[in-house]
Amino acid sequence: MNTYKLRKARSLAARHAVLGIWLLICIIPLVTLVLASLKPAGLFMTIPEIFSFSGFSLENYGRAWRQGNFPFFLRNSLIIATASLAVVLVVCTPMAYGITRLGSAKMRNFLVFSILSTRFLPYVVLALPMYLIFRVVGLSGTLFGLVLAHLAMQLPFMVWLMLGFFSGVPIEVEESAIIDGCTPFQTFMLISLPMVLPGLNAAAILAFIISYNEFLFAFFLAGYNAQPLTVGIARFVGGGETAAQYGVIAAYGSMIIIPIIIFALVVNRYIVTGMTQGAVKG
Amino acid sequence: MASQRFFRPWGFILPGIVLGIITLVVPIVMGFRYSLHRIRLYRLSDQVFVGFQNYMRLFDDPLFMMSVRVTFWFTIGCTILAVVFGLAIAAVMSTRGIRGTGAARFYMAFYLVPFVATQVVVGMLGRLYIWEPEYGMINWIMGLVGMDPVGWLISADTALLATTITNSWRLVPLALLVFYAALATIPDAIVESAEVDGASALTIFFRIKLPMIRFHISFVTLIILTSAFREFDLVYALSGLGPGRSTNVMSMLVYHMGLSTANIGLANAISFIMFGMVAVLAVVYIKAAKLSEMRE
Repeated sequence: MNTYKLRKARSLAARHAVLGIWLLICIIPLVTLVLASLKPAGLFMTIPEIFSFSGFSLENYGRAWRQGNFPFFLRNSLIIATASLAVVLVVCTPMAYGITRLGSAKMRNFLVFSILSTRFLPYVVLALPMYLIFRVVGLSGTLFGLVLAHLAMQLPFMVWLMLGFFSGVPIEVEESAIIDGCTPFQTFMLISLPMVLPGLNAAAILAFIISYNEFLFAFFLAGYNAQPLTVGIARFVGGGETAAQYGVIAAYGSMIIIPIIIFALVVNRYIVTGMTQGAVKG
Repeated sequence: MASQRFFRPWGFILPGIVLGIITLVVPIVMGFRYSLHRIRLYRLSDQVFVGFQNYMRLFDDPLFMMSVRVTFWFTIGCTILAVVFGLAIAAVMSTRGIRGTGAARFYMAFYLVPFVATQVVVGMLGRLYIWEPEYGMINWIMGLVGMDPVGWLISADTALLATTITNSWRLVPLALLVFYAALATIPDAIVESAEVDGASALTIFFRIKLPMIRFHISFVTLIILTSAFREFDLVYALSGLGPGRSTNVMSMLVYHMGLSTANIGLANAISFIMFGMVAVLAVVYIKAAKLSEMRE
């Protein structure tokens, strides 16, 4: 092999090494959590002990499932995340579409500005007043209230995301649909929506993941009956009888995190699309 | 975009506006109102108007001023780490030979993991298995190379650093993804002609590629800045207030002031100061970036 080719191969190998090391940094902490959860319950273990492939046991999972009341929290998490996804499809998507089709540039800019600026709001600014308002109107501790609160977080992000996709749809196609006798709603459903399907998938997937992972609103507003998994694990760790049961905590955390990560790996293309589109211009 | 609009789209927009008013405008207005009153959590009906007294009290409060400093360093630290690492990895990934290959897609799938991992779980994991002084992974690795163990989360000097690094780990994917997408669209011809002219890889990166993606860099910086500024979940689960309140970021302070100490008026004043800081940042940015060019 001549030196030029050799240098090229070396450079490629070095670059792959950098990317491989970063890949390890991304996943090793979670691998640690999962391996630790699979060890027998009891004492703290050193890193070599956690990574030794022996003495596996599902004991911790049984305990986390029963002691931690896992099914109850899981049900709440799934309801909240699914409802958020539905709201994104039913409310945010039409809103983004409508904004891109507004005649008045002034109005359009005002709405886009409002959407973009609320996207950066600190969530405590909303969560604390919501806590008081919900108590007054009887929404505290309800799943409905929590979904409403999540909407405050989802709406600006998802409308912004879908704006980018809809502004890519040529308006001429819609005009000919109208001429052929479609109503505006039919045009939206039959012509424009199918053209942004990848974006729609991305928005729905991101909405589900964001709501599933959310903690702050749930922590402020869920009361007892509406607590999702994120609050469940925080309470579980804080509870006296489970203190120091690190293996059980690891199992609880693994049960929350493994499904969402596998899901994300399967649909990673849509997440990449959504996150890229959500961050840059359309 | 075509200038001709052919129907009234308000029917599509109104439901979103109504929900936006209920979930965003009403809490913000009520929050501001609360911040001007003296209110205790367990006697909500007993509200006394005090004007800006809550705000005045805060500026004399060493706890609040410390929280502002902690939040400042946390936010700046996270932003710099996430943007620099995101840019570095994206630069390597977008080189010829890797960009667009199956290997790149494989890496990218796993690079998303920190971003989609539940923050509360990441916090617990960090506390119990990564930064733990006796058994944790970081001190174990440091031991392998002969370094002395560090207290990390249990030491007031290092808790903020460990928290900042953990949160940056979670934010890197956002920067990485956008920068990679942006760098990958730069035509090879531009890079090749610079190479013919004798430019080194570093020169090409800093003098040609970086200026071409400056829009992406500034917007991602704003997103990461505001996201780190408001972070609550991870800090709560990882270090809580921290030793000597060294990781008591403003979001945490609002929670403790409002729901633990039950001083609703004061807590709302803190959250409104946060609101003001973000609003100034966002408005300045949006004006500077010319919104009309961003979503047309």
